[in-house]
Amino acid sequence: MKQHLYIEIDNCIGCRSCLAACTQCGGHDQRNRNYVYDVNPFVNRQTIPLMCLHCVNPACARSCPAQAIQITEEGAVLSALVEKCIGCQNCTIACPYGIPKFDEAQNLMYKCDLCYDRTKEGIPPMCASVCPTNTLQWLTEEELAAKKSRQQLGRWTASRDPYDALEGETNVKISLPGILQGTVKLF
Amino acid sequence: MDQPKEPRNGKVPFEEDNYTHNIRKNNERLLDRRGFMKTMVGAAGLFAVSTLPWGAIAAQELNGLKQKAYSKLKIADISALQVGDAVEFAYPGEHDSALLVRLGENSYVAYQNACTHLKCPVFWSKEKAELVCPCHHGLFDVKTGAPVAGPPRRPLPEILLSVEKGSIYATGVKRYEA
Repeated sequence: MKQHLYIEIDNCIGCRSCLAACTQCGGHDQRNRNYVYDVNPFVNRQTIPLMCLHCVNPACARSCPAQAIQITEEGAVLSALVEKCIGCQNCTIACPYGIPKFDEAQNLMYKCDLCYDRTKEGIPPMCASVCPTNTLQWLTEEELAAKKSRQQLGRWTASRDPYDALEGETNVKISLPGILQGTVKLF
Repeated sequence: MDQPKEPRNGKVPFEEDNYTHNIRKNNERLLDRRGFMKTMVGAAGLFAVSTLPWGAIAAQELNGLKQKAYSKLKIADISALQVGDAVEFAYPGEHDSALLVRLGENSYVAYQNACTHLKCPVFWSKEKAELVCPCHHGLFDVKTGAPVAGPPRRPLPEILLSVEKGSIYATGVKRYEA
């Protein structure tokens, strides 16, 4: 993957522009494929966008009995192939991040495909292109390396046991929140 | 707060065969039904093309494009062979056993004497005037070499002869044309 989606977690203000951009994208039929969550509800107002992490070893694709979820050369994990998906919902069960959603009417799974038609040409995905706070960034390898040199990157985990969480390599990178690094961001 | 380089779990555990998990978009055309059919047709074509050299060899053989050359071999002197007698010799190779029969005053025939059923040596029965294969009682017509009884279905290969200055020579083997 030449470029990575990068999430600067501290920057999220919960505006849900990424959701709106995704919802209004062509062919998405008013359904968004990414989500904004409260990190600590009732404690603070920190929010976090959660999009498909485009795992290197995606559980959704591995669990698909019809091979309807394809992995591109660039590392994007695509939405269900309409002609292959049998609507068994294995992927929605398998994904530890809750990304694939199921459309009962069409009997098809749908999920983020990293705006593959855009990103394969080097254009940032819709969510990243509209984010007003640079929470979602579309970084080249060099820019990502610069980020790494300045701060630690976080790891995506899925809860199983809090001290032994499932952890996989993903193509969507994440910053470690400042509170965990002992740094405070001034913007 | 060190970040381990390798994730602890969730790695691709082994080099997977892609026959059951063909989820790489690049591989899609490689292992689908169309790809399978392409492979099958391609293999069939390859086999078909690879038979062409054999066809060429067969054509050469059948059209006589490549004449087989046989060396001339002296079998026996006429004076040493009575009418109705036979003599064994080897022609064209030293292990190709053959049989010469003098049928009349000026009539000679010679055949390779390996029975065309299971290669038993055929001998000349002077009393019954026929070529006999002892293994399964195969009989051959001495005038033509054609099988007349028993299991053999093909005639014995005939050897071409020439008579010069009181000696009989083998000059070649007749092409098999049954």
